[in-house]
Amino acid sequence: MTDDLMKLVRTYRVTAGLPERLRLAEEIFRTVEPGLRMFVFNAVRPPASDDVLQEVLKAVATSLGKFAGDSPAKFWAWAYGIARHKINDQYRRQANERLQPMSEKELRRLVEASSQSAPLSAADKHDLDYAMKLLTASKPECREYLWQHYVLGLDYSEIAEEQKLSYDNVRMKIGRCLDQAKSLVA
Amino acid sequence: MPKKTPDPEAALQKLGERLRAGFAKEHPAQNLDTVREAVREQYAQEQKTPRAAKSAPDAAKGKGRQPPEPEPER
Repeated sequence: MTDDLMKLVRTYRVTAGLPERLRLAEEIFRTVEPGLRMFVFNAVRPPASDDVLQEVLKAVATSLGKFAGDSPAKFWAWAYGIARHKINDQYRRQANERLQPMSEKELRRLVEASSQSAPLSAADKHDLDYAMKLLTASKPECREYLWQHYVLGLDYSEIAEEQKLSYDNVRMKIGRCLDQAKSLVA
Repeated sequence: MPKKTPDPEAALQKLGERLRAGFAKEHPAQNLDTVREAVREQYAQEQKTPRAAKSAPDAAKGKGRQPPEPEPER
């Protein structure tokens, strides 16, 4: 699916006609909209989250032809970067609007939803239970780092840019957070 | 026999994949009207300034990871 995404994005970049662009954009956004929605909804409270998502989708669609990256990771970093700007704009408009992290119940509901298309093995359940314990046992700052890196899939450099920290600083923080979570769950 | 403790990084990555998949299942893509509108606007703008539109992809080379909008606050 990620290869398909890059093919669509590359084709979009060189497509001149409007009907074909619209078709490609629809296909691209059917794939990426849920990921962007999750990113936004994890950060902004409804109903503002809907407006922020609209702004993000519009900004990504408008700039899609200029995206010059060559991998899904770069695409997501780029799209999340746009989303982050829009979320930060929202924070500036409404202070204290940061959301509480997802509860364990919400996490379990999403995992359950994912099992409709890919059933969970006993080993999967064991791993996922452990991962949820790691997240819920972590202190807020650590949980945020672990969430960004492992759940949203942001790499160290992207988190470093967002947090205005060095790459090594982020790498060490995440390592320490992981160790701390392991010791809390053990 | 007690179960072996999973590898924490692999477990968290697996959780991330599951959460993203679950979220996509619960919230299938919506808002495509916004996307269509943005594509149409962008297209109309390019028709007005064809030279700028042609040079845009070249100018953007190597900047794929950067968000496109100027952010004066940053």
